[in-house]
Amino acid sequence: MTPLLAVRGLTKRFGAGCGECLDRTSALRETNRCPRCGAILACREVSFDLYPGEVLGIVGESGSGKSTVVRLLHFDLEPTAGEYRLAVADAAAGGGGRNLFALSPFQRRRIRNEHMGIVYQNPRLGLRLKVSAGGNIAERLLMAGWRHVGRIRERASELLRQTEVPLARMDEPPRNFSGGMQQRVQIAKALSTRPALLLLDEVTTGLDVSVQAKVLDLLRSLQRELGIATLVVSHDLGVIRLLTSRTIVMRHGEIIEQGLSDQILEDPQHPYTQLLVNSVL
Amino acid sequence: MTRPEPTPSGTAFPGGWRRALEEGASRYSYAFLDESAKREIRRRILKAIALPGCQVPFGSREMPIARGWGTGGLQLTLALIGPEDVLKVIDQGCDDSVNAVNIKKFVGRVAGVRMTTDTRAATLIQTRHRIPEEKLDSGQVLIFQVPIPEPLRLVEPSERETRRMHAEADYSRMWLYLYEDIVRYGEITVGARYPVMVNGRYLMDPSPIPRWDLPRLHRAENLFLFCAGREKRIYAVPPHTDVEPLSFEDFAFRVERFPGRSCSRCGAGDSFLDEVIDDARGLRSWVCSDTAFCEKRRRRKAPPAEAPGGSR
Repeated sequence: MTPLLAVRGLTKRFGAGCGECLDRTSALRETNRCPRCGAILACREVSFDLYPGEVLGIVGESGSGKSTVVRLLHFDLEPTAGEYRLAVADAAAGGGGRNLFALSPFQRRRIRNEHMGIVYQNPRLGLRLKVSAGGNIAERLLMAGWRHVGRIRERASELLRQTEVPLARMDEPPRNFSGGMQQRVQIAKALSTRPALLLLDEVTTGLDVSVQAKVLDLLRSLQRELGIATLVVSHDLGVIRLLTSRTIVMRHGEIIEQGLSDQILEDPQHPYTQLLVNSVL
Repeated sequence: MTRPEPTPSGTAFPGGWRRALEEGASRYSYAFLDESAKREIRRRILKAIALPGCQVPFGSREMPIARGWGTGGLQLTLALIGPEDVLKVIDQGCDDSVNAVNIKKFVGRVAGVRMTTDTRAATLIQTRHRIPEEKLDSGQVLIFQVPIPEPLRLVEPSERETRRMHAEADYSRMWLYLYEDIVRYGEITVGARYPVMVNGRYLMDPSPIPRWDLPRLHRAENLFLFCAGREKRIYAVPPHTDVEPLSFEDFAFRVERFPGRSCSRCGAGDSFLDEVIDDARGLRSWVCSDTAFCEKRRRRKAPPAEAPGGSR
């Protein structure tokens, strides 16, 4: 099977860099800050594949670079180095197996609109809180070229029903909503154009436990129904256990261990992963 | 410090201040702007024509009228005008409003061109917020005074961001604004300054002309030039260019309608009408916003004896 998404050597450095940054930082050296020039290597030489329909988890402590990876994949940040291929995007990019990071911002934005959905930890990043919930979903559809208000509203209400947001509140701005409901609107927005790739960046962090459970439940049932390839970023091992089949463990911007989620959680090999698994309350 | 008396006998202005002013005017280069300024503006115009609807920055000069009073349109007029040109200046369709008259006087003094109110006779027409009712032809240029050249300013305050949006043709925010309008009010409530797509590429602010005038921009015979003096932007719609107002499949673009109304002066039922309220009698009536068009119709209808002068 060919991977839907392939990432090779993804590196993001904040700061000028000195040429020795890569040699002086790593998980082994216990730092991602170059001692010589002070540059931060938020992620360094990250490579992985994601197969169609698969759910891959990225776990690690805060500052380990997991959110940076997601933002790079969503083109929110410019990478320092690396290659990024998306099987579904090849037709639009005009040629098989092209590196998406080499495309123009215009082409990248098109690929992002057509093939990716993202749910941020903070709804503020993913939603326009002053625009109605329906409008937030409509924005993505409008980006994709929908020009029929009736059909847009139909699709928006269908999505809101799927994500269990009361339809009566469709024309209300999400700033009036609770945190859990905002998150569900965000999920509806991310799913609106039927993306091939869904990026979930700490979706349940900051929600209380019962709402967390609801959101996770929703994500799991949507996953079963739609079978979208998903990248789940979380520091919460419970979320990883519940949602993912395969997991990557990151530390100091580097992948230190990867494998089946069960295997990682039951039989961690790397000392840091062992620590992580053992520190669950 | 005391100002010298503005009298003919004053020592500060031998020969009188009015003559001093005239002499001063003659010391300027033709049409007020210096030649390098004109050349820059003409180059910018060419670029704007090459990229229909794209806002081209230019070095807006200080003019003897305040920014926001038509300095953009005035600079285009002065950069393009020649001694053989015939100029018409209108302000919301009116040839005789203070703004239009002042601009006409100024251009007349510095460029010495003929003035007209007849839309057909003019080669250059400078306008504020209207397109004349009569169809323009390929020899004419319509110059708009633009207050806010950025159509996306409504949805995005940052200039850096709006430039990115134009570069990537990312106009979903504007569409979203119209969608929200429909959700809230059941229709698109944008009156003047209705955003249009030019040549299928750039979103453009047509300046605050009523929706009524927008169809005239589409595949016209003449050149339309837009200039914002304060915001320092020039843009253009060349002849035969597609100009399409944003609209949804189920919420089509509509122009203003005046059901059952017609101009109380000339009787026209197919022109853009202004509402006039007679405070003394508490009556409302409607007249053509385009005064030259109205006058022409009345002159054609009325017996010749009454025609000259009209009832100004």
